Amino acid sequence: MAERFTGHGAEWRDSNLTPTEAKVATSWVELKVDKRSMLTQKDRVEDVRDAMWDLERDGEIVVHRVSDEHQPVMVKTLYGWDKKIPTQRLWHHKSCGQCGNIPGYPASLLWLMNKMDVEYLDETDQTSCTAWNYHGSGIGNLESLAAVFLRNFHQAYVAAKAQGLPEAYYYPLVHCGTSFGNYKEVRGYLIRSAKLRESVKKILGRLGRLVDGKLLIPEEVVHYSEWLHVMRERIAGMRELDCSGVRATIHPACHVYKMVPEDAIYDDKINGGNRLAVSTGIMQALGAQVIDYSTWYDCCGFGFRHIISEREFTRSFAIDRKIRVAVEEAHADVMIGHDTGCITTLDKNQWISKSGARPVELAVLADCQFAALACGAHPYKIVQSHWHASPTETLMEKIGIDWQAKKAEFVAYLEEIKTGKQENLYDPRRMITSGPGYIPIKAAP
Amino acid sequence: MAHAETTRVQTVIGDPVGENAPVPRAKLEAIFADIQSDLRYDHELNGCLNCGICTATCPAAHYYDFSPREIVQLLWTENLEGIYDAMQEKIWACAQCYTCAARCPFGNSPGGLVMLMRETAIKHRMESAKNVLRPFSRVMLKLISTGNQLSPDMINKDHFADWGPNISKVDAPLKLLRKAIPMPTLNTTATAWEVNLKTSVELYTIWEMTGVLKQLEGIDENLFDVITDIMDEKREDWKDFLADQEDGGKHG
Repeated sequence: MAERFTGHGAEWRDSNLTPTEAKVATSWVELKVDKRSMLTQKDRVEDVRDAMWDLERDGEIVVHRVSDEHQPVMVKTLYGWDKKIPTQRLWHHKSCGQCGNIPGYPASLLWLMNKMDVEYLDETDQTSCTAWNYHGSGIGNLESLAAVFLRNFHQAYVAAKAQGLPEAYYYPLVHCGTSFGNYKEVRGYLIRSAKLRESVKKILGRLGRLVDGKLLIPEEVVHYSEWLHVMRERIAGMRELDCSGVRATIHPACHVYKMVPEDAIYDDKINGGNRLAVSTGIMQALGAQVIDYSTWYDCCGFGFRHIISEREFTRSFAIDRKIRVAVEEAHADVMIGHDTGCITTLDKNQWISKSGARPVELAVLADCQFAALACGAHPYKIVQSHWHASPTETLMEKIGIDWQAKKAEFVAYLEEIKTGKQENLYDPRRMITSGPGYIPIKAAP
Repeated sequence: MAHAETTRVQTVIGDPVGENAPVPRAKLEAIFADIQSDLRYDHELNGCLNCGICTATCPAAHYYDFSPREIVQLLWTENLEGIYDAMQEKIWACAQCYTCAARCPFGNSPGGLVMLMRETAIKHRMESAKNVLRPFSRVMLKLISTGNQLSPDMINKDHFADWGPNISKVDAPLKLLRKAIPMPTLNTTATAWEVNLKTSVELYTIWEMTGVLKQLEGIDENLFDVITDIMDEKREDWKDFLADQEDGGKHG
C-alpha cells in the first residue's frame, strides 16, 4: 500500500462517497459557510470605539477624528455599525510590497484621486507596518507593532505642518491589507490594555510623538479599498471603456475581513450582504460581471514566510485552490484583489504551472488598477502592468486597449526619462516633510 | 515498564516516564508561562469543543502535518510536552490567514496563538526557529534596517526563478523602470520607497525599547551585527545633520 501523509492521523479513512452523495453531504456546509451568519453568530463582540471615546473623555488619549473637512461617507460594517470613510485630504500610508513589487497599484490609486481632485500627501516619513515580517518570522511583538502604528499615524496627524497647514489636516489611508488588519488589531489592544498604553507611551514620548502628552488614536482605521468603494459611483461616471464583457472573480483578502471582522464593510445590495462589499462593489459599478467560484473564502497561499522560503506551499495553493478554480469553474477573465500579498502571490505564481500537465493562467489586478484602466489610465505609465507576470494583455484586449501600441509609447517614454524628462502625479518637492532634503513649500493650490 | 519510543513527543522531548532524559519540566513550564503571559492569550483562547472547523478551513492543513485544532487543544489542556513538540515544526506551517479565527464559534484565534508560540520559540532561542528563519534573513535585514520589508532589487530572476521570465515585461534597467513610476517616492531600488532619515532613526529606537533587537541577536548573531552597524551609521548621519543645522549649514 502506498504511503499517504494526510496530516489527519492514522485513523483517517476516505469516505468513498459517490459524487452525488458528496454533493448532498457538503451542501449543508456550503449553505452555512457562504452566509454572513458564519461570522456574526458569536458571543463577546464589542465595538472598541465605545471604549475609545471613554478613554478620551477620561483624558487618557486624543482621538484623531474623521472631520467634516475629510468629507466622510458613512458605510455599514458586519454588525450594521456605522463606519466613517474619509474621502478628502488623505495621507497615503504606503505598502512595502505594493511599492516594491507592483508599483502600478498605488500609482493607479493616486491617478484616480487626481482625476477627482482629491487632496493628498505621499511622503517619505513613514515605515511599513512591519507586520509582514512579524507574521512571517515572529520577530517583533505587540509592543513594537503598537509603537510603529502610533508613530506612523502621529506623522499623518502632523504632516501638513510642513506645508504650513494645521495638524489633523490629513487623515491616514492605509494601502496594505495586512497593515489594515494589524493596525486594527493593535488599536483594539491599545484601547483595552492600560499596561500596553503605559509601555508604548514611554516610547512615543521619547520620539516626541505624543499629542498634549497623550497617545493619539485614530477614530477609524481606513483601507484604500474602502475609499474606492464609497467613490465607486463617481469613478463609474469617469469610465471610458466597456467592461460588460469582463468576467471577474474577486479574491477577498484575509487580513482585510477575517482579522477584526466586525470592522469590514458589508452592504445588503452587494453579494446579498453575505460577503465583503469592497472590490465587488466597484467592479459591478464599472459594469463588469462578478462571477462566483467555490473557493472564494480560501486565502491566496501567501503565508508571509512561505512566499519567501517555503514556496512549494504558496504556489501549489495559489494555483490549485484559486487560479485553477477561477479559470475552470468561473471561466474568469481576471481575478481582482485588494491586498498586496494576494496580488503578488496570485499574479506571480502561475508560470510554474507550465511544469505540470495542466498549466493555467489568468490576469490578476488590484481593484484600483482595473478601475484606472477602465477610466482611461495608461496601462504602462500609470497601471504599470509590465510588473505583472500574469497575462494582463488578454484582459486589456477584451476591454479594447491596444496594449502593443501603449507598450511602444512607454518604451519611447523610457528614452525621454534618460534625457531628464519625467512625468509625476504630484510635485516631488512635497514628498520630504523634514530632515535632509526638506524644502518648505506651501500646499499645492 | 519502559515505554516504546514511538511518538513524536517521545522522539523530540523524551519520555517523561521512561528512561530517556526528558526536557526538564521547569523548562516546559517556563515556555508555557511565557506563552500565557502575553496579554493577548486570554483574548485568543476562550474554550474548545474539538469541532475542527478551524482545521477544515485551514490552508496549511491541506499541505502540512498541521492542525489549528490541535494547537488550541494543546494550549487549552496545558499539554506542555505537546506544546513543546508543536513548537519544533508545526507552528511554522501556519499561513497566518486567520481563517480559523473568523470561523471559530468560540472566538478563538488559533493563528494568533501560533504567533505567541513563535515569539516564545524565538525568546527561548530554539534551534528549530533558527533553522526555519535562516532563509528569511534577507527580509529581516531589509525590514529592521530600513523599515521596508521588500525592495525592488530583491525581486529578480535569481531569487524567484519559479516566477518565470516576466519579472518585468519591459526589458530595461531596474533603475530606469523605477524612474518611470509616476510617484517620486518610488524612484528607488534598494527600498520600496525613499525613507526619511529621521524615520529610520525613530524606528531603531522602537526596536531597542521593545526588545526586538534582543530577539534578533538570539536568533541570528551575524545578522544582528550587520544590522547594528547599519543603525550606527544612520544615527551618525542624523547627528551630523542636526549639528549642521545648529551651525546654520545648508541642508536642502
